[in-house]
Order: sequence, then structure tokens, then C-alpha cells
Amino acid sequence: MSADSDLQKPLPYSPNLPPPDFFDPVVEAYKKDVDMTLIRENLKLTVTERFEKHQKLWEFAQALRAAGQRMREGR
Amino acid sequence: MGPNFHEILPLLVSHDVQFIVIGGGAAIVHGAARMTYDVDVVYARNAENLGRLVAALKPYKPYLRGVPLGLPFIWDQRTLQGGLNFTLTTTLGDLDLLADVPGGGMYEQIVPFTVELDAFGVRCLVVTLDMLIQMKRAAGRPKDMETIAELQNILENRRAPEPDF
Repeated sequence: MSADSDLQKPLPYSPNLPPPDFFDPVVEAYKKDVDMTLIRENLKLTVTERFEKHQKLWEFAQALRAAGQRMREGR
Repeated sequence: MGPNFHEILPLLVSHDVQFIVIGGGAAIVHGAARMTYDVDVVYARNAENLGRLVAALKPYKPYLRGVPLGLPFIWDQRTLQGGLNFTLTTTLGDLDLLADVPGGGMYEQIVPFTVELDAFGVRCLVVTLDMLIQMKRAAGRPKDMETIAELQNILENRRAPEPDF
């Protein structure tokens, strides 16, 4: 692809806002703790599989929450 | 109720609703490893689309989330016309219908910054990773700082050249 056609590509972001890679020291502080291994694994999945993985995690969290509730109520 | 992407997205598509997936759902699409509790979409405000939204969701008893049960809430086009953003609970799951979002604006303004998403056998629009970051930043919520960090890492990972082994 030529440099000219690159210039004609629409921007994937709004030119009226700070760019998506805008440097923010607070964000930078968080970045070092982002687990990129989880992200790389997600990127190997299809979008449907990513949603399905999220759904399973959500159901697991709900089951844990319910178990905690039962424990607190002494059941 | 939690998010139910696998039923809500195909439902909206089957009714030809004009919508864009944003928020946590969009973050999942772009590879983020984050939990979200609802489905967030921006919807078009034209009369035809409001009618389609009403028809699509009516069987699933939409009601305002966090509002005591029994208060009058009529799910019809007039209600949609009279409001902008609706945080709903439905029998399918929680759904946020947003007409105007910080950093993005309204449906028509966001459409240029979307990509087509293929999931659950249907195709719909989702905001680009770049725009999602801009929207999160514009929202200005402290809780989004960590999400922005994750999304920026994904963006950098996407832009990085393939390792040359």
C-alpha cells in the first residue's frame, strides 16, 4: 500500500479528541501491571469465543458470590 | 442479571435495530480481559429505529434498573422519544441503551469510527479500539484508568511489528 493511500484512509478515531495513544502518567502507571499474557490468549480466540469465555467467568463469579452468601448465612 | 451478549446482540440484529456496541462489550471484542456487567449500546434516535427497539425488547419486560418495582414504566416509542439514556434490566439481562455518550456523541457521529463485528452468527457494529479509548478517556471516570491502560497496551501490541525469529 502506498503512502498516498494511507493518507486517504479514514481515521479510526476522532481528530477532535486527544489521540488514543495520548500520554497520561496515571495510565502509564497502570500499564506495567496489565497482564499481557491474558490479552494475547484472548486475541487467539474468535470474538464469539471471547464473549463465551467472559460469560463463563461471569457465571463462575456469580456461583462464588452465591456460595459466599450461603456461608455467611450459615446454610 | 448480568450481560447476555449471546442473546441480546442477535435479537437486536434480527429486528434491524441500528446500534453500536460500546463499553465493556467492545473492550472484550478487542481482546481485553475484563469483566463487564451489562451490554452497552448506542442506538439511533430516528423514529423507525425507536419502533424496532420497542418491538425487539418488549417480550423481555424492560424496566429501569435500580428503580423500585411497581413504578409506572411503559416500554413504548413515546418513552424512548422522551428520554436519551436508559439503563435497563430485562429478562435477557442488563442492557444500557445510550443515545449520547461522552467523547463519541450520537449514533451517526460514532458510525465512522466503527468496525463490523462478527459474533454469534450475526454482524453488527462495534467502536474501533482507538475510539473506545477516546470514549473511556472522555468519560473521565477514575475506574476507567485501568481499562484505558489495558486498551492502550492492546493498541501498542497491535501496532508493534511481528517479532523476527
